[in-house]
Amino acid sequence: MSGNGKELTEKEKADKERRKIKSAGAMRDLMTKYYMEAKGAEGTDRHIAWITSGAPVEPLIAFDVIPVYPENHGAMCGAAHMNVELCEVAEGRGFSRDLCSYARGDIGSAMTKGGPIGGLPRPTFLVACNNICNTVFKWYEELARFFDVPLFIYDTPFVRGELPQHIADYSLRQMEEYMALLEKVTGRVYDEQRFIDVAAKSLIAGELWSQVLACNEHRPAPMTCFDAFILMAPIVTLRGTQEVVDFYQGVLEEMKQRIEEDIGILPTEKYRVLWDNIPVWYEMRNLGRLFMELETCLVADTYTSAWTFSGVDAERPLASMANIYAEVYLNINLERMADKIESLATRFGVDGMIMHSNRSCKPYSLGQYDLAKEFTRRTGKPALIIEADHTDSRWYDRAQIENRIRDFVENLLGESVSV
Amino acid sequence: MDVQTIVDECLELWRDPYPHLARLREEGEKPLAVFCSYTPEEIIHAAGFTPVRLMGAVRTITYADAHLQTYCCSLARTDLDMALAGELDFLEGAVFVQTCDTMMRLSDIWRRNTDFPFHGDLVLPIRMGEDVSLPFLVEEVHRFRRSVEDYVGEAIWDDALEESIHVYNRNRRLADRLYKLRTTSPGVLDGLSATACLAAGFWMRREKHNEMLHELLEGLDTGGQPGRERTPLLVSGSVCTTPDLVELLQELGADVVDDDLCSGHRYFDNYVDEADTPEEALARRMWGRVNCPAKHQSIEDRVEHLVRQVQDSGAAGVIFYLQSFCEPHLFDVPYLRERLQKELDVPSLVLESELQSFSRGQLRTRLQAFLETISGV
Ligand code: SF4
Ligand code: SF4
Repeated sequence: MSGNGKELTEKEKADKERRKIKSAGAMRDLMTKYYMEAKGAEGTDRHIAWITSGAPVEPLIAFDVIPVYPENHGAMCGAAHMNVELCEVAEGRGFSRDLCSYARGDIGSAMTKGGPIGGLPRPTFLVACNNICNTVFKWYEELARFFDVPLFIYDTPFVRGELPQHIADYSLRQMEEYMALLEKVTGRVYDEQRFIDVAAKSLIAGELWSQVLACNEHRPAPMTCFDAFILMAPIVTLRGTQEVVDFYQGVLEEMKQRIEEDIGILPTEKYRVLWDNIPVWYEMRNLGRLFMELETCLVADTYTSAWTFSGVDAERPLASMANIYAEVYLNINLERMADKIESLATRFGVDGMIMHSNRSCKPYSLGQYDLAKEFTRRTGKPALIIEADHTDSRWYDRAQIENRIRDFVENLLGESVSV
Repeated sequence: MDVQTIVDECLELWRDPYPHLARLREEGEKPLAVFCSYTPEEIIHAAGFTPVRLMGAVRTITYADAHLQTYCCSLARTDLDMALAGELDFLEGAVFVQTCDTMMRLSDIWRRNTDFPFHGDLVLPIRMGEDVSLPFLVEEVHRFRRSVEDYVGEAIWDDALEESIHVYNRNRRLADRLYKLRTTSPGVLDGLSATACLAAGFWMRREKHNEMLHELLEGLDTGGQPGRERTPLLVSGSVCTTPDLVELLQELGADVVDDDLCSGHRYFDNYVDEADTPEEALARRMWGRVNCPAKHQSIEDRVEHLVRQVQDSGAAGVIFYLQSFCEPHLFDVPYLRERLQKELDVPSLVLESELQSFSRGQLRTRLQAFLETISGV
């Protein structure tokens, strides 16, 4: 690796600068503005809803409610190495260390206003959708008791195979209920045109985001999935707004430009690897360094693509929106997940897969052993499973994990795998 | 059979039901596994199977670790381990009900790695007791019935299903009498016996269990003397895989006067309306019964229910008995404990169970310490 620990030469500096992703700055500005606006709304008559990452946010945007995402905040606390102390607050109240560290950290932050931005603004109501896990509704029940505010649960039964009609019907009834609730809370009437408009923006942003991710099919990859983890914050938190559409337009242009100029994110890209599960937020920097040293690019992942939507039908906006939210990646059976992994592996031409077995997140992690085997069976490529937690660093064994990753990458080339 | 013999047999069954289940198969019954108290067992029963409950086992894990992480509850791990070891070959199959994330994934893992003839899935809403979810639930019950019918290759007639519903309702009435005895006629039947006699029903045809409960209740001498003073306790949580907890409490001078367990009181709560059409009625029962923490009715329903139970039973303390890594229960523990303390001044203890490293000695020490704090008040 060039310039490791030493002064960089002018040329190396210029090269590093050239490889840097410029949109990261725009993203920081966007997110800062968003958090400042949200925090500034506390105590005013603007409504603030805390919402889970997989929940339909478009209705909130259409009713001018500010959505706040504890999971995004959790990732931020994790990356700032502040989540453990927040978890400890919740543990002190009796929450087990085995519960999701997003939930623990969030409960701790609600209690103390702790974290890098002094906690999230107080919600006027809560929206939890269990399409990502069943942890969220237990966590939000606790928040509802803590803040003494209403909780709306948008219930998305697990889908095995094709989406059955009775799930679609149940989802639609809840979409209607959701609108009625918003009418009641905000005192406004549901404006279908406005909703279609928001849904369309959400869709366009989702589409742009999927094009951004697709740029990594190119060799060398213009970014790693660690960059995608950072760049996805707006699609998670602000989809449905024009700003987000503009932002991803910019990102897409930058990526295309990089492809044109053949600028890869790594100085050299020898191996291409698929990542599974939520990032290890507090370890991104170290892992990033390690992969760079190993000339290995994490070109795709199963996480960021969860926010690429398609198919909102303007004739039936609520129903089609409802269907999209019913079938997200974590709410489908293992076989469908395996199909998705296989298709990513093929599209991005990966040499192997690294799975983060995440103690916090059972829906994402249970089944990985079977998925790893299935991946190898279908693609002939090896898979490595590392055990960690996305924001509780007390479970992380750096030396052991880095050694395992090194061994894995060293064996990537020329490996023929038998199952 | 006299009362003591019945109780002893039930205890033995509870201690290790598996050899008995294998025998059922030899005798021509077709045991079909259920894990969850939300399973509409009546449908399985009406199709000619014997629904039997899998509640894990105290054992070391040999095979399941290749499929499930160690940060997963020991019910899932030991049940899967037994299946992979071939120790459950007497089963016709299993029914998975969507409650927690672990069960949701376990269903797929089980299906992919075992080859029992039948695999059933029932996807429940988490929102119970609200109009919005009822049609979905009714349809899901209907689809489950279809999947059983497809498997047996013939229809389950409504009258057969009604008959099974009747049998299960009778079972619930008997179980309710059994449980109430402890408060209406204290000293007649201790907590260990009552819990064991309820649990035994998980591993036999319900008709047989009904006869047994009937015989037991008839044979009890309700006019007898109240036994010696014991510390009344309530146990709340998921399941008691073995009798150890209740047994130890008894040994230590306490008595379990009621429970909020899905292998106990939650199992038989609420009746199926026999005047309604069977599918609708089955759905309505689950929808209206006392909530399990993996379901939602309101943010207060569990504490309200628990407070009422503690008051009605006169429990002086509550033991939360949970599986390690079980989110639904672990999330509820802090507020339930706070509220019990605040509203009733009732202390509680949290015990986490991991069946692969079960230690009766440790359990005893913790219980003893807790009981000392209660009797010290
Ligand atoms: S359990 Fe998983 S999906 Fe659920 S909140 Fe935690 S990390 Fe997210
Ligand atoms: S004990 Fe908890 S985690 Fe385990 S299967 Fe039951 S509800 Fe799920």
